[in-house]
Amino acid sequence: MGEVIVVTSGKGGVGKTTATANIGAGLALRGYKVALVDADIGLRNLDVVLGLENRIVYDLVDVAHGHCRLKQALIKDKRFEGLYLLPAAQTKDKTAVKPEQMKEICLQLGEEFDYVIIDCPAGIEQGFKNAIAGAEKAIVVTTPEVSAVRDADRVIGLLEAADLREPKLVINRLRPKMVRQGNMMNIEDIIDILAVDLLGVIPEDEKIIVTTNKGDPVIQDERSLSGEAFRNITRRILGEPVPLMDLERNGNLFSRLRRMVRLG
Amino acid sequence: MATDSGYVMADSRAAGAEENQTVLIQRTLRSGQSIFYPGNVVVLGDVNPGAQVTATGDVIVVGALRGMVHAGAGGNEAAVVVAFRLEPTQLRIAKHVSRPPAGMVPAGQPEVARIRDGVITIEAFSVAGERQGSIARVSVPVDLEFEK
Repeated sequence: MGEVIVVTSGKGGVGKTTATANIGAGLALRGYKVALVDADIGLRNLDVVLGLENRIVYDLVDVAHGHCRLKQALIKDKRFEGLYLLPAAQTKDKTAVKPEQMKEICLQLGEEFDYVIIDCPAGIEQGFKNAIAGAEKAIVVTTPEVSAVRDADRVIGLLEAADLREPKLVINRLRPKMVRQGNMMNIEDIIDILAVDLLGVIPEDEKIIVTTNKGDPVIQDERSLSGEAFRNITRRILGEPVPLMDLERNGNLFSRLRRMVRLG
Repeated sequence: MATDSGYVMADSRAAGAEENQTVLIQRTLRSGQSIFYPGNVVVLGDVNPGAQVTATGDVIVVGALRGMVHAGAGGNEAAVVVAFRLEPTQLRIAKHVSRPPAGMVPAGQPEVARIRDGVITIEAFSVAGERQGSIARVSVPVDLEFEK
C-alpha cells in the first residue's frame, strides 16, 4: 500500500507544481513507482512542467466519471522509470470531481504505486477539499513572504481539521543574501509561526525557471543548488537523515553556491 | 489596591455569573480559526496572525499572541489580556481598540494589557502585581505556569 501525499500551500505561485514534479521525479530516480495527480482541474500545469502535455488523452475527470480506466489515463514519463502522471481536465472546473471520487482514485493508485503525490490547486475551496480527500500525508509549500506564510498557516489549520496531522513544510525561493541582510523572513521566523517540521529549503534559482519552461525537472541537474535541495527533500521523504539548512549556515550556503557556480 | 481589586471583583460579578467561567484551548489557533467564549479564555499555545479570540472576560495566552484578541467583549472594562509574547495584530478591550505602535520591539517577557485612564496600556506582567487577585480568579493552573 503506497503513501498518498498532497502538496498544498493556500497561496498560488509559491511552487506547489514545481515541488510536486521534482519530488515525484526524485522518488522515481531512487527506484520507486510514483503517480503524480494534478488536482488543479481547469488550470492544469503539472503536465506542462513535466513536458507531457502533448501526450494527454484521458484525464482525472474521465477516470472519476468512468469514461476510461485509471490505467488508460496514466501517462508514463519516459525519462524517469516508474514515474506516471494522472493529468487534470482543462475544460472542466473543480466541481467536476467529488471528494469521494478522489478518495477512490487515490485508493486505487495506492495499490499500484509506492508514492501518490497530489498537486493541490491554490485556494481552500472545492479544489482543495478534493485534493486532500484521499491524502494521508501533506507537504505544505511556502515562500519567505508574510502573505504566503499566513496562507500556509490557514491551510495547516484546515489540514489538521481534516485529520491530516503533522504536515511537513517546504520553504521555497529563499534568498540567503536577503535573509542575511535582514530583508527577508528567515527560516526560524517561519517555523516560529507555523510550528511544523521542516522538510527542506529551496533557494531562489533561475535554473528552475529554465527547467520548468522546458518541462524538465531541475532535480536531475547535478550542478544546481535547487536540484540538490530537491534531492535532499526526496531523501528525507525516504527517511534518510539529511541535515537541514539553517540560518547560521546561510553564509556558508551562499558561498558554497558561488563556489559551485565557479566550478561549474 | 484593595479598593481597585475589590471594584474589579464587584464589577465582574455584576456582569453575570458566566464571566467566571473559563475555557481552556489546548492548541495553537491558526489563521482563520476563531474562539468566542462568554467568560475567560486560556490558550495553551499560540494565537497566530489571522486568528481571533473573543471573550467577555479575560484572555490569557500561554504562548505567542500575534492575532486579534478582544477581551471584555461584553463591555467589561476591567478585563485584561495576558500573553507570554504579546505581539497582537490588534488588541481590543471592551469598546477600546488599539494596535501596537509601528516598529514596536517585542518585550521578550510576559506582558499584560489593561485599560488605564481610558487607554489600553501594556505592561510587564508580574504575578505580585496589583491585579494578582484578579489573575488568580481567572485560572489557578495558569498562575502556576507563570511561577515555574
